[in-house]
Amino acid sequence: MTLVHNWHLGRRMEYPYFESRPKHQFAAIFNINRCIACQTCTMACKSAWTYNKGQEHMWWNNVETKPYGGYPQSWDVKTLKLIDNGENTWYTDEKDEKLSPYGVYEGDTIFEAAAKKNINQWAVGYIPEDKEWRSPNFGEDVAKSNKPDEYSSLPEHSRWFFYIQRLCNHCTYPGCLAACPRKAIYKRKEDGIVLIDQKRCRGYRKCVEQCPYKKPMYRGLTRVSEKCIACYPRIEGKDPLTKGRPMETRCMAACVGQIRLQGFLDDNPKNPVTWLIRHDKLALPLYPQFGTEPNIYYIPPRWAPRAYLRQMFGPGVDEAIDKFMVPSRERLAVMSLFRMTQTIIYEYKIEEGPKVFETTIHGKKFELYNDTVIGLGEDGQEVVRTTVEEPVYIRDPKHYNSI
Amino acid sequence: MKKTYSVLKRYGVALLSCAFLSTALFAAEETAPGVTGASEEEFTPAKEVLTIKYVDVGKPYHMDVETLKGFFNDAKGVTVQLQKQDKAFPNGGGSVSSAEVKAIHDGLVAYFKVTWSDPTKNARAIAVQEFRDAVALMFPLGAVEITPAEHFSPRMGDREKPTNLWHWKADWESDLLVKGELEDVEAQYPNMHDDFNLNPYSAYYHRELITSVEVLSGGRAANNLLSQPARGRTVEDLNAEGFGTLTTQAHQDVNGCSKYEDGVWTVIIYRSLITEDPHDVQFVPGGTSYFNMAVWNGGEQDRNGQKNISIQWHPVTLERVAWQ
Repeated sequence: MTLVHNWHLGRRMEYPYFESRPKHQFAAIFNINRCIACQTCTMACKSAWTYNKGQEHMWWNNVETKPYGGYPQSWDVKTLKLIDNGENTWYTDEKDEKLSPYGVYEGDTIFEAAAKKNINQWAVGYIPEDKEWRSPNFGEDVAKSNKPDEYSSLPEHSRWFFYIQRLCNHCTYPGCLAACPRKAIYKRKEDGIVLIDQKRCRGYRKCVEQCPYKKPMYRGLTRVSEKCIACYPRIEGKDPLTKGRPMETRCMAACVGQIRLQGFLDDNPKNPVTWLIRHDKLALPLYPQFGTEPNIYYIPPRWAPRAYLRQMFGPGVDEAIDKFMVPSRERLAVMSLFRMTQTIIYEYKIEEGPKVFETTIHGKKFELYNDTVIGLGEDGQEVVRTTVEEPVYIRDPKHYNSI
Repeated sequence: MKKTYSVLKRYGVALLSCAFLSTALFAAEETAPGVTGASEEEFTPAKEVLTIKYVDVGKPYHMDVETLKGFFNDAKGVTVQLQKQDKAFPNGGGSVSSAEVKAIHDGLVAYFKVTWSDPTKNARAIAVQEFRDAVALMFPLGAVEITPAEHFSPRMGDREKPTNLWHWKADWESDLLVKGELEDVEAQYPNMHDDFNLNPYSAYYHRELITSVEVLSGGRAANNLLSQPARGRTVEDLNAEGFGTLTTQAHQDVNGCSKYEDGVWTVIIYRSLITEDPHDVQFVPGGTSYFNMAVWNGGEQDRNGQKNISIQWHPVTLERVAWQ
């Protein structure tokens, strides 16, 4: 084991390989508040990559309902149990913007739990059986309520559920990569995408066992395992539509609810993804305590119980929800970029516009400015331009009721 | 924790360099990450010699256990003690304690018969939680002398010390019975819905979809032998030089047959004494080499390093052919 820094945990942790971060890390932000679980992303992925024989149970992208849903069933609860040592708490009194923005995690990661339990594996894990993969929408739209006759009231609902959109997290410290005894799994230096070498894989299913998010899947037809490939031909700009520029994945581009923004985590503070994750801290990692430093980030749902959300997204939840409910001028502008283009945005620019609205939300003053936000592509050229206020078009009366 | 954190923060660089240093020191002892040192006895081969006895096999009509097992009657067997693999991560195995090996040759082909008891037959690996029974024989490549002074790891060889492995798989035997094709997913899930077979017009309307089966079957497109239909054999011919280096050979030369009866696997693995492949072990009359073996019990979720291994090389010698 070597010591590597995991900024989600705010500390160093043990991992079988040295720290080696890609220049640009494949990353995405999902706004849970806007998701309607239409599963268009799920079908976009399915029809692109997993419509084939032996892949019937595979959903590289899926949307499940929390708290009861899960694909495979109860994947998160089962892994949380494996790392539970009774002290899975966070120390949040001291924070460091760069090294420990959410505080310090005091519990065990999947790697540390394995070392402590002396199980002679790299990480704790389990293999979900075939029946656990069978019902991807099990528990869909089932709400949790403490009392049967309870009704919900704002701002936090007492009867609640929310959707969680999941795909491979292309982790910085992947559990699957650590687990593979053949080193058939690798993380690309150029964009941090994690792939299974289909030639070297021998179907041992150690990745299926030790990925805490259960995203590598075994294919009985070919006797080897497969996983989300982050639509890497699109990321490489192979699709003619974006004229050689990197393009968002199928699941991101298909999002009807406009909840998704994909890009790369890098050092540029004006990169919309980097800004929302590292600087604004609006988007949070999923189960950071697993210790793999996942790279899909979520804007937590404002109506669900905070304790549940803190377990799921770490201690940054309260700050993120406060920020989301009363967005700042810059945040509102950057969030307007969600789903405005399929071309990956590397940088944003804001042109200030007039103030159009003013109100008070939960006792806080809120001002709406109609700023123009411009997205720049890999080559620095403008790829999208939009305004905070959606333009209104009024139809000419002579066209009423006409087709 | 607060204290630890501030210590980490303050002396982080020093601690990190210590970690680097200790890793470097460990690296000198270890052969691979997660591997602990081997004991000296592992480099001493067993005393008992396995003789590949000359038997006139003739031309067997069927290459199956029933036909071949009679020829092994006069061959002297070697009992190989097996144990849990406890050096390289992931550790595992330990459910099979021993296996018996007998060997014969007819001047052209060497036959190795391995028998071990296993209460469950696991001859399919289609469901995610199912693992196959398997057995592997391993030989050092080239002419080597194995002594405590001349280290040659009995655990899959070592760098610059390559081995040739013959890996028999129970599910490959099942595959072979399906007209030389792979056992399909329907074998495991008989009533499953399949877009390709149930649609009566699929061949007409979905030609592109049908022809893309190979392309979108990653393992097949990458030419992974495990994924290929019509392999025509039950034994995989491989090379390794240490943990995690197992590689399928481009040229496959080994075959085998098996029988599972009353909780006992009998597997016969055979190959020509001499091949043209430089990556294969060669058997010369009168010559001595070594072998080692491992057994996987699919019922106990054995696969990869989770296996029952022998930690000693066993000498093997080819009896001279009695020309008449």
